[in-house]
Amino acid sequence: MSDQTKLGCLLLVGVNHTTAPLDVRERLAIPVARLADATRSLAGQPGIREALILSTCNRVELLTVTESANGTEDSTAPATALNFLHQYLNIPTAAVTPHLYTLREREAIRHLFRVASSLDSMVVGEPQILGQVKESWNIAREVGAINSTEAFSSMLDPLLQRAFSVAKRVRTETQIGSSSVSIASVAAELARKIFGSLANKTILLVGAGKMSDLAAKHLIQQGATTLLVSNRTEARAEKIADTLRTPDITTGVIPYGQLHEQTHRADIIITSTGAGQIFSPDNGRTLVHRRRNRPVFFIDIAVPRDVNPAVNNLEGCFVYDIDDLQQVAQENQIQRSREAETAESIVQLEVERYGERLAQAPATEAIKQLQSSAEALREAELARTAQRLANLNVPLTPEQQSAIEHLTRSLINKLLHPQIIALRGTDTKRRTDDD
Amino acid sequence: MALLWLRIAVLLYGIAALAVLPAALYNRPRWRHIAMPAALIAVFFHFVALAEMLNAAHHALPVDTHESLSMLGLLLGAAFLVLATVYRTVSFGVFLLPVAALLTLVPAFRPGAEVLDYPLLHTGWLFLHVALLLAAYAALLISLIASVLYLIQERRLKQKRTSQARSWLPPLETTDQIALKSLLFGLPCMTAGLLIGSVVALETIGPAFFADPKVLLSLAMWVVYIAMIYIRRHSGLRGRRAVYLSGFVFLIVLAVWAANQLSVVHRFRAP
Repeated sequence: MSDQTKLGCLLLVGVNHTTAPLDVRERLAIPVARLADATRSLAGQPGIREALILSTCNRVELLTVTESANGTEDSTAPATALNFLHQYLNIPTAAVTPHLYTLREREAIRHLFRVASSLDSMVVGEPQILGQVKESWNIAREVGAINSTEAFSSMLDPLLQRAFSVAKRVRTETQIGSSSVSIASVAAELARKIFGSLANKTILLVGAGKMSDLAAKHLIQQGATTLLVSNRTEARAEKIADTLRTPDITTGVIPYGQLHEQTHRADIIITSTGAGQIFSPDNGRTLVHRRRNRPVFFIDIAVPRDVNPAVNNLEGCFVYDIDDLQQVAQENQIQRSREAETAESIVQLEVERYGERLAQAPATEAIKQLQSSAEALREAELARTAQRLANLNVPLTPEQQSAIEHLTRSLINKLLHPQIIALRGTDTKRRTDDD
Repeated sequence: MALLWLRIAVLLYGIAALAVLPAALYNRPRWRHIAMPAALIAVFFHFVALAEMLNAAHHALPVDTHESLSMLGLLLGAAFLVLATVYRTVSFGVFLLPVAALLTLVPAFRPGAEVLDYPLLHTGWLFLHVALLLAAYAALLISLIASVLYLIQERRLKQKRTSQARSWLPPLETTDQIALKSLLFGLPCMTAGLLIGSVVALETIGPAFFADPKVLLSLAMWVVYIAMIYIRRHSGLRGRRAVYLSGFVFLIVLAVWAANQLSVVHRFRAP
């Protein structure tokens, strides 16, 4: 990047889940409602030409393009960013500095590509981060913190767009986000393997517990529309049903004593009572018979188990206990790690490509200007000659005009060729296109 | 030209059959972008080839073995496209596309030379009879494949081999729906096909056609087919027993197909 006066210097300053503890990240977090104001404020800091703020629960990062008078990196730029955090969030710089990372140019590009591709996330491959980066980009554009002027072209805009393409490529070419890694999402993924869409499916929650609530919520998010709750304490069951009821979700309570008479209404049964095996193979057989062989999925997260493992041997019954779910989650995590290696190679390749493109940018700009000046000169000379000939009453035929056009263009191309080659910094001889 | 189109169709079926393997088995969506257009163009060329072939032979229906095989291949290719579009799964292509390619391979490289002399060859009724029965066979084959896929997926989920289960098999309910819907689609096709054939045979041959082995087997096939649908719908039969039942009906279909060799009615010779 030889002409940084023109392009500016790229700088990324931030903290994330690997460098800062939660209490520091909490203090630095900027809510979405304040993000526009914060971005505008950062872009207004002295020496900052463009700015973007990415604030999520796992990271706060300031991506800026700083001005540089002499073509070298501005050593005060990180201090400016730190000062902004201090002033805007009223946090002592000493509390932040030990956790801060500063990345410049190619390292900043690489980091941005990795963040957008979810390679730098706490749960590698999670899909939310790309949406969060896009939201920050939209906000920065809306407040004018990313823009092009006559004096310089935007550096962040093409960079962010490239980051989105890289993230898309990673998603398409690897399986990084295809498998679930939490117990609740594994349960939902398995339910989809059995039922396809979970729309109009009924969940039965037997017992109460944090994890079973979470699994039920996850299944509801995936489209399940009816939730039944059964608990020894009916009041507790009603409370859970009330908590999870929404305009789109129908909830109901099954008295614990009638559990086996009503179980056939549910497609997915989440049990967490820990009261011993409340579902025996006989119960399973009756259940399948009542459901006319339609499949039923038991998610048994109780210890000791609520569902006798032999129920899994019955046709149409699928039983997954907590160990099974954890094992699937671990397998998926291992698979994600393997895919992450492939994704890292893609990111590395894209960083190199982008770096090369960026390195050529000043030369390309200079070549454009050179060609534009030469073309203006050629047109002016042609117009003057045409005027002179018209005064002498010697008008040119269209064929003659075309020949002169061709000649002058060819001359200019041949004269500029060595300079263009020199600007591109290559010895490669290229034939001038004189057509 | 018909042969050229048919050979292009075979080539494209082959490409689609190969591309669908990574798309389905390894969940590589890029390969899907090759498999789907290749299958679509293959079906198009296949249709053009078959139409030209029948037109050149001056009859409207696929009567010889080669033409029947080719038409069955076309129906299976088209069925793959319908399943992939409606259910967003290319898994069925792993079975349907190679079968379509194989069924088309023989007619494309060793065209039939049977001399047919039958007054009703030029009527649309016989075309409907053959086309509807072939559609019913195709529906039955798809139902059988769906039942097998259901069984594999069920076993994987029960054995908790989810890393493999994730890869390519459609959800259980989807395969179950496909199995049942294809049977329900096949029933009116088979019923109408048999009725049309019976009426035509009654008019041309007389009541004696009932003694034909292929006709008798076809009626047996129809009865078993209806029984299978009844059992599946009313007892919710799935899994292993559904595969056995579908397999049994499919064996009868093969027997009906093979009975052509013994059938006088289906030799398409002047009475």
